[in-house]
Amino acid sequence: MFRRVGALGVTGAAIAAVVAMTLSGTASARTTASASTSCNSPLTIGVAYPATGDAAGIGALQWDWANAAANAWNSSHSLKISLLPGDTHLGPGEQAQQVAQSFANNSSIVAVTGPAGSQEMQDTAAIWKAASLAPISGSETRVELTRSQGASKRQTTKGYFYRTVPNDGQQGGDDARYIYRKLHIKNVEVIDDQENYSIGLAGQVTSALKKFHVHVTRNSISQTDTNFSSVIDAIPSSTKLIYIPWQLANQAQQFYVQLHNKGKDIPLFGSDGTDDSSQFHGPGSYVSGFPFDPNNATVNAFANAHGGDTESFGIPTYTSVIANAQAIQAACHANHNSIGRNEVRLAIKHVHLTKAQSLLGFPVSFLAKNVGAFQGVGDMGGSAGFGIYQIQDDGSYKRVG
Amino acid sequence: MHLLLFTIIDNIRSIGWAGAFALLRDGIVLGALYSLVALGYTMVYGILQLLNFAHGDVFMVGAFMGIGVLTVVAGPFSSALPLVPLIIVLFAVSMLGSGVLGVVIERFAYRPLRNAPRIAPLISALGVVFILESSVQLLTNAGHFQYNEYPVFNRLFQPAVFNPWGQPINIADLLVVGTSIVLVLALMFLVNRTRLGKAMRATAFDREAASMMGVDTDRVIAATFFIGSALAGAAGVMYGLSLSDTWFLVGFLYGLKAFTAAVVGGIGSIQGAMLGGVLIGLVETFAGAYAGGNWKEIVVFGILILFLLFRPTGILGSHAIQKV
Repeated sequence: MFRRVGALGVTGAAIAAVVAMTLSGTASARTTASASTSCNSPLTIGVAYPATGDAAGIGALQWDWANAAANAWNSSHSLKISLLPGDTHLGPGEQAQQVAQSFANNSSIVAVTGPAGSQEMQDTAAIWKAASLAPISGSETRVELTRSQGASKRQTTKGYFYRTVPNDGQQGGDDARYIYRKLHIKNVEVIDDQENYSIGLAGQVTSALKKFHVHVTRNSISQTDTNFSSVIDAIPSSTKLIYIPWQLANQAQQFYVQLHNKGKDIPLFGSDGTDDSSQFHGPGSYVSGFPFDPNNATVNAFANAHGGDTESFGIPTYTSVIANAQAIQAACHANHNSIGRNEVRLAIKHVHLTKAQSLLGFPVSFLAKNVGAFQGVGDMGGSAGFGIYQIQDDGSYKRVG
Repeated sequence: MHLLLFTIIDNIRSIGWAGAFALLRDGIVLGALYSLVALGYTMVYGILQLLNFAHGDVFMVGAFMGIGVLTVVAGPFSSALPLVPLIIVLFAVSMLGSGVLGVVIERFAYRPLRNAPRIAPLISALGVVFILESSVQLLTNAGHFQYNEYPVFNRLFQPAVFNPWGQPINIADLLVVGTSIVLVLALMFLVNRTRLGKAMRATAFDREAASMMGVDTDRVIAATFFIGSALAGAAGVMYGLSLSDTWFLVGFLYGLKAFTAAVVGGIGSIQGAMLGGVLIGLVETFAGAYAGGNWKEIVVFGILILFLLFRPTGILGSHAIQKV
């Protein structure tokens, strides 16, 4: 009997300890959410991105551009910012949740750039909201993050998520219109890479193309694939264009090479995930990408510092950091140099970046209400959109749409 | 399920006979790569009853050794290099380097655990996997590297050597299959007709008895690792030449599929590894085309489970009789 009482006692104590830890963690998040930070010392922006894992390559681009933004801001403003990285791995949600929780518990963090993947945002939305943080992502494109679609409800709370990249609905519609109206193509194969971004965008493009009565066939690869033989051999002979909404530009290049080695000269059309001229440069292919100005001084300086590579996939992350910095500055001015996260979060919706400040090729401000079929609160408004580029014989990108 | 069936029937019709021939070609080429890696698994298992999960990453390192040679001898836009000597150098460096790596892994990760419970070297193998992958990730900054960035290799693909039914068979395809056959024949000669081969067979049969008969089993095991790893290195170079994209995680999935090939063919059997490799290559290629790209891994690893359940000795493996 004493042994059973002892066991019950231990179990009860363990449960009490877990409850206490949970409550204290929640209390800690609430406490840090309301903590004040002085604007006289560098203010910290947490950067959630995939430093390791399959997507480490694109994570590196985002981190490089985030640092470029911090350096650019600090060199021209008396208010200073610093960056704190968090590796989300772009894999299962646990890692992203750990990063979100660590940022939430870190009282020095007043704003967040990232995370990189739409699924990560879905998995961490509740954590950010509890911590009064409104991440600004430079790469999450799923429409449902800002706008309900059919039976799928909006996956974030208004005012707690922003993005400096157009969403899949905008990109899918624009790309489909170009394929049909400019290229006059009636047979398209869409191949996704089985990731959320790709599947979502493939769906948007497919339904947009079908509205134009274009015949669409579908197939899939995975991001770990390096051998595309079977998928290439299965492409119907009537296919005139292959749409590849992939996240990895080097995969697009390998697919191009293997496709041509097998005697199939079908043009590829890559989404913004493949927008990297140093990795994807198959002549005759198309890419939708950010219409940044390649002659811009900041872009040139970045390219010179990175072996001539503009790493354009990371440019929206630059925009995100600058937007966060502008929100922090506005909050500091409005609150006598002592701010909390909520002040920064509320300032984000008033952020306005000029075309030169954003680097994206258009000015940036965030929508306060739904617009059109795909844009919602947190999306960029105005002329935000993608450009369409054709890859030239020398591997350079020429804007064609 | 009937949606999958409709997809398969639809694809069979749209791919046609010419497409089926292309799948056969690609399946055999892929199978040749798997065979070479599977041989390493089968040789090590035959001698030590150890599943060397780090073997797939030796393949990856072999591919990167080829990149290393190209970085040293060839600028990215140089097409004036003589192709044949370059390929020979790639093979030589990669096979030697991978072989040495295999010996080092055996010496420090497996030999001290030879008398430990079976799980210990298995865990050690997993540790080696992470060490190799993380090391290469750090050295390469998680980047992707391509053999086809070097224009000298364009000659492997254009023009095609044969073009049956409009499906090109190029030098790269012939190189992969031909080299694999030569290497397997060389291995079979070594195992069946040389003193070292006799010592390897004796050690595989009964290590203790072989040792008592004067065979230096440590050296034989080291030689086995060297040869198996060298074959993986050769496969790495051929993978780079034919499929090109090389990165730090490429060995993981290839290693697992090669392991599947070794099991299907009969682990411990050289001919089984070759047969299993070709079978898995064909199954993966046809499944990817007829059922869809996302069915490849399901089918391949489904076959692994089925063989383990119903025919664990594989196609050409045999039951071992143990005296009790």
